[in-house]
Parts: sequence; C-alpha cells; structure tokens
Amino acid sequence: MKNRIRVLRAEREMTQEQLAELVGVTRNTIISIEKDKYCPSLKLGYRIASLFGVGIDDVFTYEPEKDGPSPDNDE
Amino acid sequence: MKRFTYLSCSLAAGILVAAMTGWSMAAGNFIVPVIAIPLGAIVILACRRNVREVIVDERSKKVRSQAALRTLEVAVIAGAIAAIILYSFLISDSLAPHVTGMVYTGENGSHSMIISIYKPGSPETPENLIRSTTIRDIDAMNEFEAMEYCQYRNDAFRENERRGIIGMTVGGSIVALLAIFGVFYLYYDRKY
Repeated sequence: MKNRIRVLRAEREMTQEQLAELVGVTRNTIISIEKDKYCPSLKLGYRIASLFGVGIDDVFTYEPEKDGPSPDNDE
Repeated sequence: MKRFTYLSCSLAAGILVAAMTGWSMAAGNFIVPVIAIPLGAIVILACRRNVREVIVDERSKKVRSQAALRTLEVAVIAGAIAAIILYSFLISDSLAPHVTGMVYTGENGSHSMIISIYKPGSPETPENLIRSTTIRDIDAMNEFEAMEYCQYRNDAFRENERRGIIGMTVGGSIVALLAIFGVFYLYYDRKY
C-alpha cells in the first residue's frame, strides 16, 4: 500500500508530531505508515484523509502486485 | 505529564509495591498487600490519566498482540519439548541410574551385600559409580539398617524424580496456558 502522506504533509507544512497528535496516534506510527512498513486501519486511513481534506484514494493507493491477495500481509 | 515521566512513576510504584508485598508476606503480614496493591494501581492509573501524549495506538496494540501470540507459540513448543525430555528421565529405564547388587559370604559365614548405583546408560565401571554402600551381615539386618537402606535408595533417585516433577509442572503449565488462551480466544471471537 503506497501513500502520499509525506507529500500532503509537506504541502501543509505539517510535522509528523503534529499529524500524529491530530489523528491520535504516536509519531512512530506516522513514520511507519510513511515508510510503507505499517498498513493503517480503515478508520485511521479515513481520519488522515479527512484531516488533509482529500479522499482516501488520494492518500492511499492499493498495489495488488506488491500487497498480494491477502489484506493482512504486513506481519 | 510526559510519557517518560509516566513510565518512571509506574516503574517506581511497581517496584515499591512488589518490595512491600514481598517483605510483608515473608514476615507473615497479609494486611500490607491488601492496601499496597490497590494503592499502587490507583497511583499508576492516576499518572496514566494525566499523560497528554498518546501512549497506545492501533500499531502498538497490533505489535503487542502479535508479540504475545508469538511468545505463546514459542512457549508452548519449547515447553512441550522440555516437558517430554524431563519426564522421560522419570519413565525411561535407560535414562535412570543403574542399580546393581552383589552378595558375598564372609569368613565367618555371614552374608554381606554391596549395592552400587551407576550413571545412566554407562558401563559398570568405577568412574561411572555415583554411590555405593555395603550392608554387612544382611541376615541380621535390623529395622534401622533397613530404613537406612531405603533412605539411600531415595537419595539416589531423588535427582531423577526432581526432573520428572519439573517435567510434569511444565506440562501442567502448558495445559493452563492453552486453557487461558482458549478462553480469551472465545471472548474476542464473540466481541469482534
């Protein structure tokens, strides 16, 4: 799952710490999401998209060839 | 309050409660734990409420749950192997110490017996000897000597029995872990 959080954050001059505080997670979670190491829940995904004022498709992009058939392959 | 301060306070409270509980229970005072444990829990909860930062989120929960699951899997497998190895010492003849007895007749015609215990699976040579005892004039063995002989046998097999008990304890712990896991599994299966 690719995402544009870093770009959207940079456009709004927002730090990882500020974003984490606004969506109610730790900064480490934001770092992991930005690095594509952690796939957030749908709820958190919508919260991030809503905060940036865009649709969830504008933030996250599903890549079937990379993500595989299982939705939970991020162990 | 910051996360580090909260963790420090929780650690200090935990250590203090554990020390007070351990000391008082060793001294036979059971009132101190009844007061100290809830008080410690209240202090930790009060500190937690005052933390402004996010302590737990979905990622940390996922990480913890996966770690717990892996720990359980490893503990069950390692415990089962350890239990089988240790219990086999109790039930396997080849892993138990080897006991030999030899009766000989003395110059005065009395019968004596030498009992030797050798290391498991080893030939009966002096270097493999664990312990040996001689019962002189077994025909005249009195009750005290018979009891002493029984004690000797108990001492010789104590190490093996201890391993067996550890094995049974580990096995019992695995059963308990699986039972607890089953209960939680059913609970969360119904909840989510």
